[in-house]
Amino acid sequence: MGILNWFDKPAPDVQKLAAGSFTVDRHGNVLTTTVGSAYPQWLLDDTAREVLSLFRGAREAQMPLTGLELHYAGLNITAREMQGGAIIFVAPQKAAAAPAPAQKDPA
Amino acid sequence: MATRDKILVLDDENDWLEVCREYLSQLPSKPDIRTVLSGTGAMALLDAEPFRLLVCDLKMPRMDGLQVLSVVRRRFPELRTVALTGFSDEDFRSRAYELGVDLFWLKSDMQQNPQMFLECIESLLGHEDGGGFRDVKAKNLLDVIRVEMALGNSSVLRITSGWQVAHVWIKDGQLVDVRAEGADGEAALRRLLNWKSGTFESLPSEPSHVRIITRSVDAILIESAQTVEKAENPTPKQEEEETRFVNRLTAVACEGAEFVVTVPVKKNEAAKGWGIKDVDRLAAWVRQAEKSARRLGEKFNAGPLTHITGHNLERHLLLTQEGGRIFAVGWPLDADPGRLFEQSKRLAETWAS
Repeated sequence: MGILNWFDKPAPDVQKLAAGSFTVDRHGNVLTTTVGSAYPQWLLDDTAREVLSLFRGAREAQMPLTGLELHYAGLNITAREMQGGAIIFVAPQKAAAAPAPAQKDPA
Repeated sequence: MATRDKILVLDDENDWLEVCREYLSQLPSKPDIRTVLSGTGAMALLDAEPFRLLVCDLKMPRMDGLQVLSVVRRRFPELRTVALTGFSDEDFRSRAYELGVDLFWLKSDMQQNPQMFLECIESLLGHEDGGGFRDVKAKNLLDVIRVEMALGNSSVLRITSGWQVAHVWIKDGQLVDVRAEGADGEAALRRLLNWKSGTFESLPSEPSHVRIITRSVDAILIESAQTVEKAENPTPKQEEEETRFVNRLTAVACEGAEFVVTVPVKKNEAAKGWGIKDVDRLAAWVRQAEKSARRLGEKFNAGPLTHITGHNLERHLLLTQEGGRIFAVGWPLDADPGRLFEQSKRLAETWAS
């Protein structure tokens, strides 16, 4: 019966959203990471470059930031500045950890 | 029975409010003195009752004095305003005057010379029947200057309004120079013509004073008169703009934001800001942040970008988009981070509407 053929169709791939964290130095080099290997190194490098560039831009705009969060429908990217470098957390939206209060920031 | 003038004193320190009450109670006109601890409280009181004078601290948490004064100037144009601050900061002073305060006074000066402070306050309470320059029948300062010129006089007019002092040099019926509010020449004359009340005295002429104003005085006066007339008779479009501006400021003040910068998505349109000085530099970063975030979102397949937040040891910053503009809203550090998106969105909707 034709209706049963529906089950023969291959299921679409479900792409898992990235989760984990990684640290980068002031030059954008990724030092440590817990982000799954499904996410390539270039993606982490790009993320590091964009985040460090945003921290630098904010400083130049006289609005230096110690923390930055990018909120998407499905994902949160949270970055904390660390001595010119940064620690960057990537978490699916529902599992996104609450950011630490700004006043407790070590920077 | 004559009604007593009402003075509202706004400061975030209770002790200082008591000090102010004590000083102001010595005023000869014995005004009714009310005190309030927050900007939003002050707005509520001003909405509810008619006040003659607002004495406003500048440095306060949440809604600071400059925010209060900018809203008040629009919503209550008849209200006289005094900025009273503990900070001897020229930037503060000039920003306060740009907002149209009648008087800027340091708290330390008030305590050192209370008599002068009280005289200025009494003068601001305005018992001169709706403004005008005392000692002359003429209605405004323009008339005073015109009379001196028509008589072909040579003199120096010293004009005092509150603590402000201006000088006008007239030589053989020609306007030679004006010094007022840190400006000279034509710029000073334009500022001077905005003074609503004051006193003047005629000093001996200074023939050696260098002529700064070279343009036809009539041309300047006509130009100034046209400007005044334009300001006093706004077109419906200007009134609409005015109302929109007031609504925006009120929304910012009520939500408790520190500043707002609106950045058009189209780069060829100018960004606008309120409560912040260097709008363009922040606007450039806002555009950069939005582009970076979108790029990263695509790479991660993260879905649509909803907002961006940032923080430092002084404030929170939130970026959100509304009506073709990115709104960058600054919030005090003690604001609830969990509510900032909702509050910023509400503010942006009001602003964009």
